Amino acid sequence: MAVVDKNRPSPEWIEHLRKRYPCEQEIDRVLTRKLERRAGPPYAPVSLDTLQAGTEALLRTQLTEPFTITDTRWLSGGASKLQMAFVLHWNQPGVGRSSTPLVLRMEPSEAITETSRLREFQIIKAMEGKVPVPPTYWIDAYGEYLPYPAIVYGFAEGVTKPSKSTSTVSGVGTSIPPEIRETLGQQFVDHLVTTHTFDWQQADIGAYDRPAAGTEALEWALNHWERVWEEDSHEDVPLMRLTMAWLRRNMPPVDHISMVHGDYRLGNFLYTEHDLRISAWLDWELAYLGDRHEDLSWSAKRQFGQMAEDGKTFLVAGCLPIEEYLARYERASGLKVDPERMRYYDIFNNYKCLAIVLATGYRAPFNGKTHQDVLVAWLSGISYPLLEELRTQMAEVL
Amino acid sequence: MELRPSFQIPALIKSLTDVVLPAVDPANKLAQEQGQLVVAMLHLMAQRLPLQYRYDCHELKQFLGLADSLASHGAAVPELGETLAALATDAEAGRAVLSRAGVEPAELEATNLALRTSVGAAISASAMAADGPATKAINAAVMAHAQEMLLRERAWLAMQGWEGPNAGLPAVETLIGG
Repeated sequence: MAVVDKNRPSPEWIEHLRKRYPCEQEIDRVLTRKLERRAGPPYAPVSLDTLQAGTEALLRTQLTEPFTITDTRWLSGGASKLQMAFVLHWNQPGVGRSSTPLVLRMEPSEAITETSRLREFQIIKAMEGKVPVPPTYWIDAYGEYLPYPAIVYGFAEGVTKPSKSTSTVSGVGTSIPPEIRETLGQQFVDHLVTTHTFDWQQADIGAYDRPAAGTEALEWALNHWERVWEEDSHEDVPLMRLTMAWLRRNMPPVDHISMVHGDYRLGNFLYTEHDLRISAWLDWELAYLGDRHEDLSWSAKRQFGQMAEDGKTFLVAGCLPIEEYLARYERASGLKVDPERMRYYDIFNNYKCLAIVLATGYRAPFNGKTHQDVLVAWLSGISYPLLEELRTQMAEVL
Repeated sequence: MELRPSFQIPALIKSLTDVVLPAVDPANKLAQEQGQLVVAMLHLMAQRLPLQYRYDCHELKQFLGLADSLASHGAAVPELGETLAALATDAEAGRAVLSRAGVEPAELEATNLALRTSVGAAISASAMAADGPATKAINAAVMAHAQEMLLRERAWLAMQGWEGPNAGLPAVETLIGG
């Protein structure tokens, strides 16, 4: 068997993968770019001065009047992107002279989730006014002004978890107290319903390919994640092979193509503690047009919820019992929740998550490609409990 | 198991060099000095870890040679009788260990990797074939293998705490006996 050097991918191998795993055009572009750049240098620390200069260069193409940037500082949070907070002093259209706190969110050289800033920008713009999203200002889609592709966001007020609670990285293990569960839980359902029933046909989302009814969206998604597995994995894992074969053999056709958030869960929304309103849904980078059951299954994952005080009832997002969660969703959306498809997407989600944390979670830090290799390497350890979960799921369906 | 020192140590060095050390108070000389030494020590570990096993084997071989010389030359010295007898016992044990020391860890790791790839290809190929008793048996074998392997992998990383303190994982030492 020919040995592929995944750290120095050949043009022939890249082309082979592109043909073998056809997926959405923008996803193909991003994954191809990742491979073409892989043999290049590792991520080198970027100074705040460099980011400020790049942001100023980007803004000069967007603003006609003078502006200044001050108060630059690093933000932490998330395993995937670099974030710089700053204040923009400018003549804001419709407002006048303003000092606006903003955030620059930029990719590292290779991220644990290699995604498109253009898609992220488009979907957030499209969802503005429909569900709470952070204000989005400008984009450097191809890294023309900044070292890597980036988006300039406004600050959204709020917290991802109660100020007094603790959790591990990426929001896993967050605890929601009883008195706020109903208010947050209802919004959690409502915003998912709005996202899934959003009229994407009319939206300006040119970076999203529009799938036909049937299994086309799912085939693209399977190709996407199997391609990521092939591109980034180091050790082959028999269970992953078996799972992908099962996923391909059992593809359920979609009855209603929805905008799928792709990472809809506790930890990915902000809420304001004084009035318990969800103020922004974050991390839209994995959004795509597909089957709502992906979000429903992902949001109900054990890692993103907690047990109620009775020790028996699992609470989705730490807020609602799963039966209640799904019943409210069905009532509000008019869309059925199909247990068979929930089970299919439970397996799909674990495969996808493992492609991210076990395959890319190894490859990106191995090549020194991120700004926080040690965090990404640490996170890759969660792969083994996830594989165990996948094994028990597969045992039920084989 | 992906989380092995050859993968972990470079990530530690990069984090310390790029993020942590630049943020250490320049006036805190003790912290500055120890930070630099931690990085230097990690570099040394990363460089030498792949050779550690070979180094130890070589060292044992050399000491066995010296032990033989001592035994040979010391045989003419009556006062050394008791000491040389003890040395002979330990040298015999050392030779037994050296004879069992096999391939180097890197070769073992590379062989595992190659076999994983071939196994993966065989599983994917079998999935393309028509369903039948053979496919079912292959699936069952993969699942049984996964169960055993995942118990070992989860036990290896139990200290990370992903599964909480009550996961009931056995000590990894009990799972890798032979």
